[in-house]
Amino acid sequence: MSGFVRGSVGYNDLGLPGMWTRRIGKDVYEVFIGPQHPGSGHTRIIIWVDGDIIVDSEIDMGYVHRTMEKLSEGRQWIKAIPLFERMAIHDACNVTLPYVRAVEKLLDVEPPERASYLRVLLCEINRIAAFLYGFGIFGVFLGHSTMYMWPFGDREVWVELAEWLTGARLTHTYPVFGGVRRDVPAGFTDALRKAIRYMRRRLEDYRKIFVDNPVIRSRLEGVGVIPKKIAVELGITGPNLRASGVEYDVRMNHPYEVYDRLDFEIPVFEEGDAYARVLQRVEEIKQSLRILEQVADWLDKHEKTPIMAEKFWKTAPPLYKKVFQEQGRVKLPATFAIMKVPAGKAYERGETARGEISYYVESNGANKPYRVRIHSPSARNAIVFKYILPGHRVMDLPAIYGSIDYFPPEADR
Amino acid sequence: MGALEILWKIISWPPLWQLIVLGLIVPLLVVIYILWFERKTAARVQRRIGPLHVSPKIAGGLQLLADLIRYSFQEIIIPKTVDKAAFISAPLIALILSILPVVGVPFTDKPEWFPIPMDYSLLVVLALVTLSPIFLIVAGWASNNKFSIIGGMREAFMITAYELIIIVSVASAGVAVGSYNIVDIVHAQTGWKLLGLLNPIAFFTAFVGVLLATSGFPFEIPESEHEVVAGAFTEYSGLMYGINMGAAYLKRMVYSIVLSVAFLGGWLPYTPGEGFVSGYLIPSIVIMVKATILMMIFSFLRAVYGRYRLDQALDLAWKIMFPLAAIGFGLSLAEAYLGIF
Repeated sequence: MSGFVRGSVGYNDLGLPGMWTRRIGKDVYEVFIGPQHPGSGHTRIIIWVDGDIIVDSEIDMGYVHRTMEKLSEGRQWIKAIPLFERMAIHDACNVTLPYVRAVEKLLDVEPPERASYLRVLLCEINRIAAFLYGFGIFGVFLGHSTMYMWPFGDREVWVELAEWLTGARLTHTYPVFGGVRRDVPAGFTDALRKAIRYMRRRLEDYRKIFVDNPVIRSRLEGVGVIPKKIAVELGITGPNLRASGVEYDVRMNHPYEVYDRLDFEIPVFEEGDAYARVLQRVEEIKQSLRILEQVADWLDKHEKTPIMAEKFWKTAPPLYKKVFQEQGRVKLPATFAIMKVPAGKAYERGETARGEISYYVESNGANKPYRVRIHSPSARNAIVFKYILPGHRVMDLPAIYGSIDYFPPEADR
Repeated sequence: MGALEILWKIISWPPLWQLIVLGLIVPLLVVIYILWFERKTAARVQRRIGPLHVSPKIAGGLQLLADLIRYSFQEIIIPKTVDKAAFISAPLIALILSILPVVGVPFTDKPEWFPIPMDYSLLVVLALVTLSPIFLIVAGWASNNKFSIIGGMREAFMITAYELIIIVSVASAGVAVGSYNIVDIVHAQTGWKLLGLLNPIAFFTAFVGVLLATSGFPFEIPESEHEVVAGAFTEYSGLMYGINMGAAYLKRMVYSIVLSVAFLGGWLPYTPGEGFVSGYLIPSIVIMVKATILMMIFSFLRAVYGRYRLDQALDLAWKIMFPLAAIGFGLSLAEAYLGIF
């Protein structure tokens, strides 16, 4: 009974007009949830239910596949950054940073220290915003409309900080090869500290209304358990993996940028159920706030030094140099766009809000990538639905779906 | 006798007056207010503004009328695969049946204003409120849609859970007083001997039972959007969908009226006098205000709770609420034995 026949037409055995049916098993009901379903997102989950119990399930992804890897082969190196941001626009910096770093490896440039700190700054702002986005979706999946509105409202704080820093609310294209596009504006760190204090207060509010809510707890505890062994075997990643008791975070295990100089912890929960995944994300927000505090301190203590590798701005026209040195703003010369990257292969990985993302970049010396291969966290987490859903009730589906924080555009690429 | 007088006679004929004015028009106004209140309080809790732009001067109070107009001009789509007769008639019958219990409730103690004078009005009302949910299942079944059928089945499960709780806990009001006549029950509560205070267990279980019955949060399970789209109403569109939603709120209104006469003292502390205004209008306004306050409490829970899982709601109903309702019934028996009323 497992597996379904795509494109099968069925037959009209019920005698109902316009109703084609197909026998799938005794007492089993086939329900297609998505892609046009209020609780599915851009994906389809097919469940076979016996009464109220899911006996089998399958995830049918690819509804928002945009051939990103192929598209990137047709445009210049830097123009691929805004393209890859479209995978997860609310997590833009985290998603594109490994690509930028891989190309930097091929170019053999190192970003200045200040640029590294700024990248970490935006990465953590993005991470918090992405977690809040996930919380909002999760809240409405469980019918908790307040938990839908609050995180989406509080996310605005971080989105506006990101806008102040980069000029764009979502698709920032902030890290570019050799550095970042802009320096922090005056007064930014004070606003950042205020936002950190506000977020800590709000996390307490979330705990009162959502995390410790008896209804929500009874919905989540012991639901959708991913045991440690299964989590490793399925290769899931990110907060879902850490909530199952595996201490793996790219920021810690393979530090990039300046994460090795910052003091933070990787929270780990042993239970592996939906509730542990909620707590996991709350703890991760707390750690991100800690990182942001340290970055703010560092930025306050240090002079405004260049934010772009010397190689790129030294040869720029005088006007561009002036803008760069006086306003701390990189005005990219046209040569930057048609830049050729030396032939070679590079692999880089980074930790996004949903888990580990990795890029394999290959260049044949042209001004366009020869091949970019992306392995995104949601694509790795998608398999969970096939193995974790069976045995649960139909009403557990949104609880599990929301707690995995699956994001179809990122998985389909 | 002038034409106006005859018209007035017809309108103020108690059965008509009670069914049309107190059963349909007033609850519709109350429902419009409650929906506005629900959206406004949820917005306040969630730090939003809520409905505003339709009528900014009265804080968006006409938003619901605008919605209603939009619903009534929408195309009513009837899919090919549905059972047409049942599909069309089920929501209409459910709407009628959900208002019908109002005729059994006396809104005053003057017999000339009773639509149907009877001695077992509480039992009749309880019997009538249990009729409408069946047509919800019919609507789901006639839709011939997987989500509708799942929603209808969920409703069926919920009926088994809440019906007994509501009947036992509301009937315990009659047991305490020693009469199933609502007028006697209200009279027994004079002097702030409210049954809601003297038998809080039965009141609480009746309250939770109404939440279960009208799919209020945290028991909004049959229409849970993220699993079954709109439950039994998935295939309905336009005014038919509006009727379904309106029937749910009217049902909650009727339950609130029943709770406010059985537990909150009905028209008390007002004593009905002679004539239409003093004998009928003011007592019914008092009852409506009490029912509206109950409705407001039901609505506020939306902002605080998520929804329980179906099996958890059934567990709660059968393992906790039903024994509690039985205890409330026992408390009523004890009070009747001690002769408090």
